Amino acid sequence: MTIAQDISLASSDKTAPVLRVENVSKRFGTFTVLQSCSISVSEGEIVTLLGSSGCGKTTLLRCIAGFWAPEEGMILIDGHNTVPVPVNRRPVGVVFQSYALFPHLTVEGNVAYGLRMRGVPRSEISRRVADALESVSLRGFENRYPSQLSGGQQQRVAIARVLVLEPRVLLLDEPFNALDAKLRGTMQIELRELIKRLGMTAIFVTHDQEEALTMSDRIAVMQGGRIEQVAPPDEIFDRPATAYVADFIGLSNFIPCKVRDGKVTLPDGQSVATKESDTVKVMIRPHNLRVTAQGTGPWQGQVRFQRNIGPLIEYIVTAGEAEIRVVAMRQDRTRPWSEGDAISLEVIDPEYCTIYPAV
Amino acid sequence: MVTISAPPDKPRRMDWLFDKLLSGQGIWPAVPAIIVLTVVAVIPFVMLLSLGVSEFSVSRGQIIDQTFSMRHVTSVLTDQLYWTTFQRSMSLALTTTAICLLLGYPVAYVFLIGGKWTRRMILILTIAPLLTSGIVRTYAWLVILGGRGVLNTAMMNIGLIDQPLRIVNTHWAVLIGMVQIHLPVMILPLIAVMSRHDRKLEEASANLGATRMGTLRNVVLPLSAPGIGTGAALVFTLSYTTFVVPQLLGGGNYLNAATMIYEQVVYSLEWSKASVMSMLLMSSCLVVLVGIALVTNHFTGWTRGRQG
Ligand SMILES: Nc1ncnc2c1ncn2[C@@H]1O[C@H](COP(=O)(O)OP(=O)(O)OP(=O)(O)O)[C@@H](O)[C@H]1O
Ligand SMILES: [Mg+2]
Repeated sequence: MTIAQDISLASSDKTAPVLRVENVSKRFGTFTVLQSCSISVSEGEIVTLLGSSGCGKTTLLRCIAGFWAPEEGMILIDGHNTVPVPVNRRPVGVVFQSYALFPHLTVEGNVAYGLRMRGVPRSEISRRVADALESVSLRGFENRYPSQLSGGQQQRVAIARVLVLEPRVLLLDEPFNALDAKLRGTMQIELRELIKRLGMTAIFVTHDQEEALTMSDRIAVMQGGRIEQVAPPDEIFDRPATAYVADFIGLSNFIPCKVRDGKVTLPDGQSVATKESDTVKVMIRPHNLRVTAQGTGPWQGQVRFQRNIGPLIEYIVTAGEAEIRVVAMRQDRTRPWSEGDAISLEVIDPEYCTIYPAV
Repeated sequence: MVTISAPPDKPRRMDWLFDKLLSGQGIWPAVPAIIVLTVVAVIPFVMLLSLGVSEFSVSRGQIIDQTFSMRHVTSVLTDQLYWTTFQRSMSLALTTTAICLLLGYPVAYVFLIGGKWTRRMILILTIAPLLTSGIVRTYAWLVILGGRGVLNTAMMNIGLIDQPLRIVNTHWAVLIGMVQIHLPVMILPLIAVMSRHDRKLEEASANLGATRMGTLRNVVLPLSAPGIGTGAALVFTLSYTTFVVPQLLGGGNYLNAATMIYEQVVYSLEWSKASVMSMLLMSSCLVVLVGIALVTNHFTGWTRGRQG
């Protein structure tokens, strides 16, 4: 550990963010890819950039890594603006989507690469490489070439290769893309545990919401080059800030309603307080709805489609103009409704609904 | 549905043969090439070899009274003149290869890092000279380097020199010509290899702390080793055995192995010596090629040992 690092650790306040992205904008010609993005990541935190394809996740990551320079805004690491700092001097480690392992170097050579470039003494290199390989459980693979490894092993080499340099921020661009679904699940948990164990600060990119919910302390949902909401996974799911986030994460029903006297009246007669006015869209999660026998409530409909998904039953109900999705736990005693049944719908917890201005 | 049944004629030999040649296993698909090569390469080669190790006389264009003899082989091997000629050929070819690599590699690197238009320009400028024959390009050098050539005139006009420099008919003229003629042959394999490079590797290298130079040395260079090997082998072979450039730019008094063989066949009618020299030229060329292959293999070990 160098003296400079000691000083920065001593002087930096534990709660101060390691990475702060402030109003970063990036354009390609006249096409704006990032619009005034801001996000801050504190020590030891894993933040996920989540969004559909082409929303600018990779672009933001590449700006942080320094491969591209943003036209506007600042990127601060430990309080220092890094925009003018060249790529090879940023304390940032990138795990590429395709891993980008050096095919002409062995596992050991790949992991040692960064240390060699920094002129670390030989004996220290071999010790640190051994430690890094140990931490990703790849001891014994030192002399293999990347082409002789499985996808999961290659990914761990890519991670070890940056971990060994102890970067301040770890950037991972869809690191699980190349893995099959089953391995992906176990690798997600393993990677999260590894990052937590080492106390690393990480930004993680994905377009898979389940992955985001598994991996992150906080999720930043992006859309069209903007960050829509940054919040812990539960909050993103339960209290989505915008209709886009509500729609993007999980399943949702949007129901247009009228506001009267600061209250929205739901179709089943219950009401919720709101600050919005006029017409609003109320978002009701499918598992916040209950199907009951017809006549029990004012919100009437007909089951159009019904299917069993393991422990759950999903209904699609036609209620007036709307198609409403309902998900219920499968219990032996409740009678599953079948297609064509006339039923009533009921909101289980009105406070759990979120309300957005109707656009 | 109309079904067309195969005409019930006798089994066709030719069909069987084509079947084997097009989809057979083992050496079958190589058979046509083997036949052609035997006719156009192996047979003449054996005939040439036989001239070198025999005594014969020529009558009305026919070789007669051929008897085995090692006289010409020993006389070539013991004559200092031949050794110096081969040495000159070898050093000219090795120098040409080295200079082509030094000049060609940066071009290929610019191709690698360049944008669409840079890449196009480099390709056009590399390939365009290949559209004219080597003889024409060599004559062009006479115009440029000659006593009253473009270069000398220009240098005298700006007062750099008073007397025209004697460049043509020297070692330097030959070297300049050789490099220019063979440069594209070096650049093309380099470009071919580099355009398959994964640019992410360079980014990864920079991210891991390497400078541009570090990335060039540790990533770009080792990954382009196969291209360097191919380019070096091609340029060496072509320049070691070339005849046109030394003949024209050396003005007839620059002897390398190829020009010497030419003189022995055409002027001195020493066919046996020419044959022995051809064999030496070919085998020494092979030795160097094997050397290049071994070195390249050493640096491209990672391309073998692939899974499945
Ligand atoms: N070099 C470039 N030149 C011009 N436009 C680009 C360039 N790179 C990316 N873009 C555009 O920027 C937008 C965002 O791209 P980006 O790669 O950041 O998306 P992403 O969120 O990572 O998507 P994905 O999930 O598909 O990887 C896209 O519309 C893309 O077309
Ligand atoms: Mg991307």
